Amino acid sequence: MRRIRQFGLLFALVFLSACGTTGADLAPTFDEAVQEAEQTTVNFYLWGGDDGINRYIDDYVAPRLKETYDIELNRVPMDTAEFIRQLSLDKRSNREAGTIDLMWINGDNFRNAAEAELLQGDLLDKIPNAALLNETAQATDAGTPTDGLEVAWGNVQFVLHYDADKVTNPPATFEELHRWTEANPGRFTYPEVTDFTGNAFVRHLLYAEYGETIRSDQTIPDAFWDELATWSPNLWKQGATYPKSLAQLDQLYAKGDVWMTMGFNERRAEAERNDGVFPDGTRALVLDHSIASTHFLAVPFNASNPNGAIVVINELLSPEAQLAKQDATYWGDGTSLDLTKLERADREAFLKLDTGVTYPDPEQLAERSIADFGPSVIDQVREGWSRVAR
Amino acid sequence: MSRGSVGLSVIVLLLPLAGLAFLAGETASFEWTSLWRDAAWRASLAVTLYVTLVSTTISLLIGTWLARTVRIREAVWLSALLKLPMFVPHVAGAYLFLLLFSGGFPFYGLVEANERHHFVVILTYVWKEVPFVFLMMLGTYGQLNRGYLDMAKTLQLTRFEQFKVAEWPFLLKPLLDSFWILVAFISFAYEVPALLGVTFPELLGVLAYERLTTGLFLNANESYAVALVWTLLISVGAFVSYLVTAKRRRRIEKGVRR
Repeated sequence: MRRIRQFGLLFALVFLSACGTTGADLAPTFDEAVQEAEQTTVNFYLWGGDDGINRYIDDYVAPRLKETYDIELNRVPMDTAEFIRQLSLDKRSNREAGTIDLMWINGDNFRNAAEAELLQGDLLDKIPNAALLNETAQATDAGTPTDGLEVAWGNVQFVLHYDADKVTNPPATFEELHRWTEANPGRFTYPEVTDFTGNAFVRHLLYAEYGETIRSDQTIPDAFWDELATWSPNLWKQGATYPKSLAQLDQLYAKGDVWMTMGFNERRAEAERNDGVFPDGTRALVLDHSIASTHFLAVPFNASNPNGAIVVINELLSPEAQLAKQDATYWGDGTSLDLTKLERADREAFLKLDTGVTYPDPEQLAERSIADFGPSVIDQVREGWSRVAR
Repeated sequence: MSRGSVGLSVIVLLLPLAGLAFLAGETASFEWTSLWRDAAWRASLAVTLYVTLVSTTISLLIGTWLARTVRIREAVWLSALLKLPMFVPHVAGAYLFLLLFSGGFPFYGLVEANERHHFVVILTYVWKEVPFVFLMMLGTYGQLNRGYLDMAKTLQLTRFEQFKVAEWPFLLKPLLDSFWILVAFISFAYEVPALLGVTFPELLGVLAYERLTTGLFLNANESYAVALVWTLLISVGAFVSYLVTAKRRRRIEKGVRR
């Protein structure tokens, strides 16, 4: 009997210890945060499906943090929606000391997290490098005001990439892309719309069809889905199935099964091509318009190490770290900083990076940039698209 | 039985019950008809039944036949070989079959991964579950009283009748056990159909996971409801099938011991 009692006590203790500790508070100034954060670990949750991004965090950012601030950075790869959900469970069960200190977030995930009050506010005042941010990029996240709940980390645009050795006459508009798929059946597809990129591709088609009117109407006409269904017979596997994720589409492209891939970040194909993953002939394809997207960093309401998270964010926003991020060696992600706010040498270093075999013409890309639709359109695409996949 | 093992058994038993209680609590105010109105769930149920029943039936047939062959021919090497797939995790198995069957190999266009006929999903499950059935049945055949078979032969019954009276009654219980284990496992699994399945229709496990992880709690209740219903259905199914065969099994077990 004694054993059972001991066991029960132990069992209860495990649960009590999980409930008992409370989340740490943010230090009032950055210098104090730096002191508090020394010799701590920061658990950084982020989507882990891109090798370049992972290497940037592990090989570049983590060693710098260790050296400068004596902070251990623990990268936890996970789908964004999944850890947001985990947080919302934390919130519901009043778990005050969570496992996530810092996370990478944007779009409808941010909207959901903000609505459910899962994020710490007033981040910008506590981060010195936030003064360098591009204010337009920082202001809204796919139509939702950021309100200091998240800090812009990078700024990218949607482009397609194609294999120029196979596609000799690339389309110039989304309409032409449709015709191209008819002429080259089975050589094009896009990820399911539950995927971030797949949903964005459909939003581009939406814009091609209706332009700005969707923004005011906020409803997608049925005719659009009928039109989209006409793409299906000429897609990969006759549109009977779609890649579950962008990573899967990239694999199909790397194998040569399809001849085009796509994604946010106009520089994302450079490292893949240089490593021999993507075909040598990979080139960028900017069609009539391209959604600009900013992605952000946020600190959960129950972060155990919010001070460490603040220090990491500040480091990630430093011109050096942003420059390394934009370089094709790792990630090739566009900076969220306002170049005019930087010192001259830094600014020039950024401008120098604008050459790559797979990069689109930056001026053309800027010209065709459009703002993203709000989260309600993303939801509608998710709902309505099931008719196309059927 | 020691106190410790009783305690442990209680905890093991309590965990799924607590899970069921949680599911029941979450779906208390759920509108159940909405599941049936949603074409995605309807299609998912159909394809899940198809994949589960076909894979399970084929696995049971092949596994039993192999166990029988190994016992009759005493083919030890075959028994060792058959255990190999058991050491490959399901995800690895699924990935292996994806590699094999996505590039048009070996029968281009006929059997391919990510097709609506789900042949490759079924194939993966059969490959993974046959060794399991094999091991379950190997034990049964090991304990089988050869006397019945000899008697059937003496009575000059046909081969089918020999099987019917001297083998089949003893196979029923392990076959039922294996059947429900496989059904429970295959019908709500994620990895294999996620990798090898299609966008529409998705198997229950995949669709439930997708609805569960979209947004915050937008569609979570649906997934909870499906998990609850499915667990209950399988429990009831297993229970009923045991009730129906109880008398027969008891008689056979007594017969064996005598």
